[in-house]
Amino acid sequence: MNHLTDELLNEYLDNEITDRATVENHLASCADCTARLSALESLFAELESLPEVALSCPLASPLIRTYTLPRWLTLTAVLQSAIALAGVIIAAPFVINLLPAIEPSSLLTFISEIQSQWTAALDMLSQMHMPVMPEIHIAEFSSLMIALAGVSILWLLGNGVLLKNQLK
Amino acid sequence: MNALTDRDLILRARGGNAEAIGELTTRYQTSVFNVCYRMTHERREAEDLAQETFLRVYSRLDLFDLERDFGPWVRRVAANICLNYFETQKPTVEIDDERLADENNQPEAAYETRERSELIRKAIAALPANYRVVVELRHFQELSYDEIAVELNIPVSDVKSHLFRARKILAEKLK
Repeated sequence: MNHLTDELLNEYLDNEITDRATVENHLASCADCTARLSALESLFAELESLPEVALSCPLASPLIRTYTLPRWLTLTAVLQSAIALAGVIIAAPFVINLLPAIEPSSLLTFISEIQSQWTAALDMLSQMHMPVMPEIHIAEFSSLMIALAGVSILWLLGNGVLLKNQLK
Repeated sequence: MNALTDRDLILRARGGNAEAIGELTTRYQTSVFNVCYRMTHERREAEDLAQETFLRVYSRLDLFDLERDFGPWVRRVAANICLNYFETQKPTVEIDDERLADENNQPEAAYETRERSELIRKAIAALPANYRVVVELRHFQELSYDEIAVELNIPVSDVKSHLFRARKILAEKLK
């Protein structure tokens, strides 16, 4: 008697064959194939009974953070936009009335005054001399470096402690 | 938000509604994480891949056919993301220390069950990536051979051979 192949048993359990009756007839009279099918069924059952694992923290919050602002901030932004729009509507007639009163020549004079003041400030800066650096003795310099290194280590440790939870 | 159907939430999410996106994520985060965890057997990696899955899903939400179920689609995206990830990684399976630490605190009966589950997870994680994804899609997402072939863009004959070989390996390891 020809036994059923492993492929056929797999397809039978996967409900991927149309002629199930032939397989079932054979299984009814073959203990060997029935045992093989039973072993395969146990494997299927074991795989499908694998329990779900809980998340250590919800995924939703970081996703939401990347997508939008908090609700209160969104409301504030809407309110601010509404106030700004109202301000523009109120100010528009006044600005339209004032525009013809502004002479282009006075505007040019104002700009050239600002430019000359800026040039004068730059001239003044170019004439400044840097103060002479005081002489530092080797011993003082090394103690300064040690202090600087100490502060850097403390800074790194402090940051490490603060960021510990985020790095987990 | 809780009472809304997936379809309603998807329509709102397409309009950029953050609460709808949050609710959809909350509904499917555990199942998506579990797809990634079965495939990677490493918690942090699985969480990162689950995050990536949702980002991918929301960036392609307009392409989703509203007549289909959202959950299976998201889980298939997760399986594909894991497969793409494995293709860019070296085939290593790390021991999840956090999980092992948790196990040591369990009562004995529960510990035995968990030990068996761990053995199964390890056996799955040790499979080649293309076998792993076929096992995931067939046993945990209940896709047919044809559906798996379409999903992975491979012939049905490959689906069958990957699945049969994977089961043979698993049966050997779980004896």
